Amino acid sequence: MNKKIVILFIVTLLSFAATSKIVAQDANHTSKTEIVQETHQAEGEHQLPNTFMVIPFIVLLAMIATGPIMYQHFWEHHYPKVALLLGAITASYYLVVLKDFHSLLHTAAEYFSFIALLASLFYASGGIMIKVDKKATPLLNISLLLFGAIIANVIGTTGASMLLIRPFIKINEKRIKPYLVVFFIFLISNIGGALTPIGDPPLFLGFLKGIDFFWFVEHIWYIWLPTVALLLIIFYFFDINNKADDDGQEYSGKFEFKGGKNLIYLAIILVAVFIDPNVISWVPNLAPFPIGIREMIQFGVVLFAIKTSDKEILKYNEFNIEPIREVAFLFIGIFATMIPALQLISHEANVLGDSLTPGLFFWSTGSLSGVLDNAPTYLNFLSAALGKFGLDLNNAADVKEFMNMDYIYLQAISVAAVFFGAMTYIGNGPNFMVKSIVESAGIRMPSFFSYIIKYSVPILLPVFTLVWLVFYY
Amino acid sequence: MKKIVEVLEEKKNGLVFGNRILLPFQAELLKIVIDSEIITNFGKRLKGAHVRVTDYYTEIYFLDYKILVNEIPKYKSIKMVVVQQGEDVFDFNNHINLEIEFLGKHQISIKKIGDDVLFYE
Repeated sequence: MNKKIVILFIVTLLSFAATSKIVAQDANHTSKTEIVQETHQAEGEHQLPNTFMVIPFIVLLAMIATGPIMYQHFWEHHYPKVALLLGAITASYYLVVLKDFHSLLHTAAEYFSFIALLASLFYASGGIMIKVDKKATPLLNISLLLFGAIIANVIGTTGASMLLIRPFIKINEKRIKPYLVVFFIFLISNIGGALTPIGDPPLFLGFLKGIDFFWFVEHIWYIWLPTVALLLIIFYFFDINNKADDDGQEYSGKFEFKGGKNLIYLAIILVAVFIDPNVISWVPNLAPFPIGIREMIQFGVVLFAIKTSDKEILKYNEFNIEPIREVAFLFIGIFATMIPALQLISHEANVLGDSLTPGLFFWSTGSLSGVLDNAPTYLNFLSAALGKFGLDLNNAADVKEFMNMDYIYLQAISVAAVFFGAMTYIGNGPNFMVKSIVESAGIRMPSFFSYIIKYSVPILLPVFTLVWLVFYY
Repeated sequence: MKKIVEVLEEKKNGLVFGNRILLPFQAELLKIVIDSEIITNFGKRLKGAHVRVTDYYTEIYFLDYKILVNEIPKYKSIKMVVVQQGEDVFDFNNHINLEIEFLGKHQISIKKIGDDVLFYE
């Protein structure tokens, strides 16, 4: 019953979104086409794609959202084919119809940068083990959640989630309840990672487009800090009421850490992020080859981590390549199918202009980031925000100008994309991964809807509304 | 027929064929965790798992899988809570947490779940 309602709701929502966009596009077709043609002829840029070419992107996002919940087994077996097929449709259109090879090459380079970072963080952190033999207290849990939220900015929300979920469960062995894992997802798998491009994939995509690495911490910390603090206070009231008996179990207080060499790998990955011709002048630019020095180093780390990670630790972490394989395949499709959507949104936003306020960007980016993947959502709204000022997301100079011109738009989009990823299990990659690890341990997690109704709506939504009232209203 | 504790002591292996595993003891199944799926309902035969206890072994069919060996990731195992058939199922002291790992094409190891493995009954 639930599944049917969800399918209906999502299909209706997506059809509405697609239809309204197409209708709106058609209504303005003549005048806009003229403007576009003039602009493009003047600038010598590529032709705008047909509006219908956003359909593969919508189909892919809809399937990513519904597949793991409604047709799990089909999705598990066929998602690579689905992603590649939809990506191939868009790629063929650009090659054959638009004869635009440049957009594809540019996108391929971004894809390799993206997957090199994620894969290297994934493999490096998978070989690290942390064990804490201490009695769980609200203070210890808060410390762990805060620690996780901070290190999510250094090893990514995925790395931090993988590293800390097991010790967090183990500490709370005798008092494990779903709210513990839910707050873990809120803080470590999502909100924590809003301060650096390494923290969360959307911000890394922004970095690849030209936003400075330290822009995020500089402009987001004063939103991040009260949000994290507020959630930790709410967590405290949940946790203080968890009076589960620990049967008089004794604890050694021991803290165990294994996999030191993988810390070196993490450091290499972090340093490699800055090895970019745009950041350091002597770094050779290998364009048009889509893989640069940074990516070669990060892929090298993947190979080293596979060869040298301690098998015992991998077993303890129940390490498997499926999560990163899934990201690698799905994002081939996302990056390819997203090209027309980005170009069209940027163009539309230029036309809509003043009606796009920071508050609107905050809620639109947020509401879609909660139910779709937040990385493509981020780029779409970033493209729209740039378009509002007549700037182009695919031009690094335009992105830099936008970043310095009026930071509030970029801030609203960045905060919303990362924060709202916590609203559902499908909002951000690590959410599902954490759920899966916890369920592998035999602990039942709330269903997709219970998570939203019991936790996201009553806890996160008021907090995010407060963020909006204070910063964007 | 050997008891579960004897099988564990002797490190006797079980078998796997397709989506069916055979355990060399007679057991009541209380809970199975396969990948991230938690199965506690053994009443339906359309989803989850179907269990049959014979005079010589306990067999479990995982109905959502075709070939377990190919579908369960390398570092993952099947975890389960079992009770020796004939013993008091209501006494938690009789509950045994087991971990099943694939050794090859048709063999599975059966081990008691260690402290290092996260598993909650």
